[in-house]
Amino acid sequence: MRALVVVLGLLLGLLVGASAVLLNPLAWLRGLPPLSGELAPFKAYRGEAYRGIDLRAGSLLRAGRQDPAVALNDPALRHVRIGIIVLPAGEGAPAALAVKVSAAAESNSLWRAQLGTNDYWNIYWPGGGSIFATGYSNFWTVTRDGFFATLGGDFSAAGAAGYPVSAPPTAGSAAGVTGAAGRYAGFTGEIRELLYPAAGEARGRDPNWAVAIKANPPPFTTR
Amino acid sequence: MKRLFSISFLAGLLVVVLATTFWPLPTHLRYRSLITVPPDGGRQEEFVIRWPEDRIRLPGEDRAALPATAAVGAAVLEDSAGQRASAELFRLRDADDNVIGVATRLAGTGGAIADPGRSASNWLLVIPSRGALFLAQTDVQDTTLTEVPTADGPAVFAPEQTAAFWAERQRLLVTANAPATTSSVTTGRVLRGTSEFEGLRGSFSETWALDEVSAGGSTQGRILLSTFTAAGS
Repeated sequence: MRALVVVLGLLLGLLVGASAVLLNPLAWLRGLPPLSGELAPFKAYRGEAYRGIDLRAGSLLRAGRQDPAVALNDPALRHVRIGIIVLPAGEGAPAALAVKVSAAAESNSLWRAQLGTNDYWNIYWPGGGSIFATGYSNFWTVTRDGFFATLGGDFSAAGAAGYPVSAPPTAGSAAGVTGAAGRYAGFTGEIRELLYPAAGEARGRDPNWAVAIKANPPPFTTR
Repeated sequence: MKRLFSISFLAGLLVVVLATTFWPLPTHLRYRSLITVPPDGGRQEEFVIRWPEDRIRLPGEDRAALPATAAVGAAVLEDSAGQRASAELFRLRDADDNVIGVATRLAGTGGAIADPGRSASNWLLVIPSRGALFLAQTDVQDTTLTEVPTADGPAVFAPEQTAAFWAERQRLLVTANAPATTSSVTTGRVLRGTSEFEGLRGSFSETWALDEVSAGGSTQGRILLSTFTAAGS
């Protein structure tokens, strides 16, 4: 009987403690404002063609086992994800070929509700031009809702609407768009990403994503 | 009994506090940076990629089912006007041959990008423990990959992985020279860096060096990326 009481007390303490940590109000305060849907519409894609970590809490906490079929085994690449993405045509823009590299952010902090990756994009529009983009994605709210969903909570609406994972960069990192080639050379701008974990889990595949990019031409200068 | 439950509950809370504070979150293995500082300032760093071994194979790609000269970890997107972009994924090595990060190469042709017969390419170098470098250049020729249908599905071919490409040379400087009207010698520019590379600008060159031609017509070699950067230059 005493052992049962100890186990129950311990489990309840762990549950309450974990819930309190996950409900850190900083998670609500952090986050970047959305871009105008007219200027920078989201483009949805399925991020299946990747190698490396799966961006779930287990990988970001170094607590999960990586799928050996996609893991990068080089010691320097253990917490990196790399993939090729085709961004579909639509909303007045042609299709684009992109690569995305995500690396677990070393500045992550569980007390500061930061569990994310530093992301690097290179996007190329055939015949048009190319841009680089970088940002920080925080998966804290996705992790939090996933935890409470296992306890019976219903977060399907949040998952279907997509989690805005783009957050202000952590200390020492940067965010933004840098135009590289063609008509986008010299452009600057911003990037936002959405994650749809519910759609991905329902099909048993990697989550769906969406990305929005706003790029502005360089300022006019006169001689 | 009530007291025992309370103590156990507090112990559970304490475990969470300790785990939140001391949990070993991921850190990236760092190799010593191999940087040379020229006498007149700046910093030079060389990066190496070996083909085909440093290409990062994507899930579902079966190397054995592809032609010997085909490239893995690559994709091509072409529009109806024949304007093309291609993407390649690589492991990135330092001058001591350690794998220190990943590199991607995107190249494109047509329209606003480059003159006919040439391509413009971007390199994204990500060294997880140090940050990222964004590089852009005009190529001396069209270096985009091509997609060819085969019996086992489409295969992607990289020019440097075919023996015919090396018929008259052992090395190729891929980075085009800058027009004489500009103050720069090369079109290879370091556009931006992040983290440790934040605030650095400069130039780079890309060179392909052939090491070996195999009997099957495929090749082995190295892509050499030589960067020169300085703060705000």
